[in-house]
Amino acid sequence: MAIDGRALTDFLAVAVGRSGGRRVALALLAVLCASCSHADRIVVGAKNFTESDLLAEIAAQQIERRTGLPVERKLHLGGTFVCHSAITAGQIDLYVEYTGTAYTAVLKHTAGADADSVREAVAHEYRQRWALVWLDPFGFNNTFAIAVRQADAQRLGLRTISDLARVAPRWHAGFGYEFLNRADGFPGLAAAYGLHFAAPPTAMDLGLTYRALADGKVDVIAGNSTDGQLAALHLVVLADDRHYFPPYEAAPVVRGELLEQHPEVGRALLELRGKIDDDEMRRLNAQADIDHKDLHAIAHDWLAQAVP
Amino acid sequence: MNLVRFYVDNAREVLGLVGQHLLLVLVSTAVAVAIGVPLGILLTRRPAWRGPVLGLANVFQTIPSLALFGFLIPLPLLGGIGARTAIVALVVYGLLPIVRNTYVGISGIDPAVREAARGMGMTDGELLRLVELPLAAGVILAGIRVATVVGVGTATIAAAIGAGGLGEYIFRGVAVVDNTLILAGAVPAALLALSADGLLGLLERRFAWR
Repeated sequence: MAIDGRALTDFLAVAVGRSGGRRVALALLAVLCASCSHADRIVVGAKNFTESDLLAEIAAQQIERRTGLPVERKLHLGGTFVCHSAITAGQIDLYVEYTGTAYTAVLKHTAGADADSVREAVAHEYRQRWALVWLDPFGFNNTFAIAVRQADAQRLGLRTISDLARVAPRWHAGFGYEFLNRADGFPGLAAAYGLHFAAPPTAMDLGLTYRALADGKVDVIAGNSTDGQLAALHLVVLADDRHYFPPYEAAPVVRGELLEQHPEVGRALLELRGKIDDDEMRRLNAQADIDHKDLHAIAHDWLAQAVP
Repeated sequence: MNLVRFYVDNAREVLGLVGQHLLLVLVSTAVAVAIGVPLGILLTRRPAWRGPVLGLANVFQTIPSLALFGFLIPLPLLGGIGARTAIVALVVYGLLPIVRNTYVGISGIDPAVREAARGMGMTDGELLRLVELPLAAGVILAGIRVATVVGVGTATIAAAIGAGGLGEYIFRGVAVVDNTLILAGAVPAALLALSADGLLGLLERRFAWR
């Protein structure tokens, strides 16, 4: 802040003119600071899970080292909803979104299109409606992973979701809210594969479903395919043999205004295109979730080696 | 407007979730009172325990709900997924105001009053029942009121562990980017909190005659 904070507080206290005015003024000042802080820096946001934080950190460091512009990180903000609201309101300048998520959850299209047409439709509509630009994807597809315990998969010979439909009537499922309610989530999957469980799936927090599965409280969950937990908890991902899920390619979504002011930001981020495949993303997520390595260090080491 | 139509279309589901929500709050507050009030009384008799017990209740308040659920899932009796786990978490969060207000309410009574009661030959139990609890009732009720109102808000996290309640709409709305759904959960939760506050406020005023 260029203005002297104390003087401003006093001014506001006089302006508000009550005994509690000082406190009101402080609150106002906090709001003012929050809204004026991002004039000359680039604000990178992220959704509230490891992969989103990690990709945001990679993007942030890439911008810093290629352009020298100051970057502020607002990581772990919330789900798709919070990030989308933040970027359309100009509170953040960029975050990493998934094409299939934008297509179904934000733009409310029904699932069932191929990767190229989803990417094109999303890029077109985002530009038209919110002046937001989709840069090229990182190169991996983080789809829903229908996962079961390894022991069950071996005992019952489960390899695909079609195999799951066979044993489902005796099983219990625990799913996150996003999966249960998205157009490309459970209702469509159940219809596509004829899935019927012993009871309606338990709705719970996504992170807790992994634990519930590992502890035997549920028998099947829907995780994310690039998640490091899948290998660590000895879970098996069943193949989507009927190709129900749309593609979920991760790519930076950037405010068009920023790219006009600083085209070098776009150039820096384009260097990351196609650099992270599924295995690489799983490995990076595992470094954070399983080995508890610092996000900053993971991003720094990866950039130094993959994008010298 | 959307919200009104949503309630008309989903009246049964909404009532079901409100019912679940109320049940979660009522059961967890009742258990928290059953544990918290005796614990608060105990602290007035054993002042040395005050620091550790209130400190622990304070620490409980700071555990993030998802972390608490994570710890609870593998536990045999208290844990698992569903309403029981949610109630355990809500009890943990509700304890502090009840224990603290019970302790403060009783220990704030004028020592002369207690002396007089002793002088009349009251036993320990009579002192508690006839003097201390009635005099502290207003403060204790204020603690229960805080616990209940906070509990109505906190109970929305029950939806993270498969226990339903109005949090279902909030979680669902956040997941699918739908403001109407979020409001469909948040507005009745706020109304419930306000009515609980009002009702317990009336009760509190009837007891606060000292």
